[in-house]
Parts: sequence; structure tokens; C-alpha cells
Amino acid sequence: MNIQYKKGVLELCVLSLLKRRDCYGYEISEYLSKHIDIADGTVYPILRKLRKEGLLSTYTQEESGGPPRKYYSLTNLGHETYEKERSEYLKFAKKVELLLEDGFDDKE
Amino acid sequence: MTRNEFLSKLADELKKNNIGEIDDIISEYDQHFAFKLADGFSEEEIAAKLGNPVLIASQFESIGDENNSRGRKAAAIIGLGLLDIFAGAFFILLSAWEAIMAAFSLCGAVIAFSLFGSISPWSLIPNMPRLAEIVFGLSLSSLSVLTAVGCIYFAAFIRQLMRSYRRFHENTIAIASGRGILPTVTISPKISSRFNRRLRTIALISLILFTTCFVLGILVSMILSGTLEFWHTWGWFGYQAVN
Repeated sequence: MNIQYKKGVLELCVLSLLKRRDCYGYEISEYLSKHIDIADGTVYPILRKLRKEGLLSTYTQEESGGPPRKYYSLTNLGHETYEKERSEYLKFAKKVELLLEDGFDDKE
Repeated sequence: MTRNEFLSKLADELKKNNIGEIDDIISEYDQHFAFKLADGFSEEEIAAKLGNPVLIASQFESIGDENNSRGRKAAAIIGLGLLDIFAGAFFILLSAWEAIMAAFSLCGAVIAFSLFGSISPWSLIPNMPRLAEIVFGLSLSSLSVLTAVGCIYFAAFIRQLMRSYRRFHENTIAIASGRGILPTVTISPKISSRFNRRLRTIALISLILFTTCFVLGILVSMILSGTLEFWHTWGWFGYQAVN
């Protein structure tokens, strides 16, 4: 699938994961590539973009037996944006699904 | 590609694309390698799964760095400023031409009025028989109307051109600062088709009237004066006929 096309949806998936819990970059990358077919390297530009837009904030946390990890967490703006875009996307996806149905008839 | 090759290639590409906080980005990818290595993957496998560093770097670019976009905006504004000077001069030129056409139209009307009324302000109108005055007067008033129609069209054209340029100006800044753009404005002026038809009819009639009356005026003058060069006979241009 076209990467530009996927990008917006990927952003939404990242937000939905971070809504549940804070994650570090690698976790997010693993989570997405487990469910969606993308190159692993694609996630980091998205994280950076969301942070630039103020939807995410970061903090570092020491880990036992490893380098400190950079955690991403949702800001208030991130929460609001996620809820808004989630409902918009679901509405849109439902419509597209309907339109792509084999027996779809425009004349009603 | 090994871990080091991948990371240095990525750093090079990011630098080339003028992306900020490169160390921060590189450390994310470095950690990615560390985690994957711990899971038992080879450096080559990990690099292959990450994707092409050139493409990854370009994804950072398309996001647009803050400093970069501010720089682009400044460059766009400077460029537009220079362009505005030229465009401004061009618009002044066009407006000047509009003013000249309007003045021409007004002059035609005044001369026609003088001819009809048989008056010669500051003795500028050469003397001629009444019939020639009327025919030339008709010709000049048609020319005046024709030029006035031209003025209306030209004014509409300048106005639309300015609008179009303004939209281009706004959109260029919007693009440079990463905002959405508005649809472009066409150069061709919007004149309602009914008004347009009327204007065209008026222009056509006045053009025909002007040419016919002009030729007719010369013919009438030749006949009335009895010579081909009637202007000598009637003492135009400040000298009398020699013979």
C-alpha cells in the first residue's frame, strides 16, 4: 500500500497505543510492524512529527541493565486530537467499506 | 548493511536534508538495533527491515523541520518582496495605459462635442464646413465610445490580474509556512455573458460607425473643398494654401 496513504492511519494507531500506556520507540515500532506491513524505520519519523505537533511528549527513564529509554506519552492535545480523528476515521472507513461492497447500489 | 553503515548513511542523509536534532534521531535507530540484536537478529537483517536510509531520511524531511520551515518562509517572503516590486511596476504600467486610454476616450468626446457645437476652444479645431463637422463629429464620438469599451475590458483585466497575483502571493507564503492553500484565481476576467454581449455589440457598432464616418468625412471634405488636399484649402495646420 502507498506509504503516504498509510501515514495518516499509522499516526492514529500510534496515538491509540499511547492512549493505553506510555511506550518507548522500539515498543511502538514492534507493535505496529506486528500488525501492519511497514518497514520498521517508518515509525520514528511519525513519532517525531507527532512530538513536533505537540501531540506527544517524551521523558527518559533509567532501565536496569541497559541505556535509559525514551518514553513517549500522550499530551492533552494528543488525547483530544486522537478522539476527534478516531471518530472521523471510523465514520470515513465505514463509508468506504459500504462503497466498496460488491452489491453497492447508488440509486436509493 | 551493518549497524554502523546504516547509521552513518542515515546521519549523512539527514544532514543533507537539513534536519535538526540528528543525534536524537540516530540514537533511536541505534537503540532499535540494540533491541533487535538482543532478540537474535543479525545487523544485516535489522537494517533490511528498517528500510532504505535515504527513504527514511526523506520521511523526516517531508515532516518539515521547524528551523527549516522558518528559513523557507523567510526566503519565500524575501523572494516575494522582490517579485512584488516588479509586479507593482508592471501594474503601474498597466494602470498608466488604462489612464491613457481613458484620456484618449475623453479627448475624442470633447472634440466631437466641439465639432457638433461648432466651437473651437483655443482655436484648436480647424475650420471646415458644417457637414464635414457633423460627419467628423460622429466619427470621433464613435471612436470615443469604442475606446471607452476598451477601457472597461482592460480595467476588468487589470483587476483580475491583481486578484490572481494576490492569491498567488498568499498561497506562496502559505506553502512556505506549511499551511493549506486556496484555489488559484484565473487571469481571465469574469464578465457576465449578457454584459459581455452588450459591450461587444456596442464596440462593433462604434467601430463600423467610426471607420465609415471617417472615410465619409474625408470624401465629403474633398468634395466640398474641391481638392484632394482639403486641409490646404481650409488653411489647417496654421498655413494657407500657396496658390
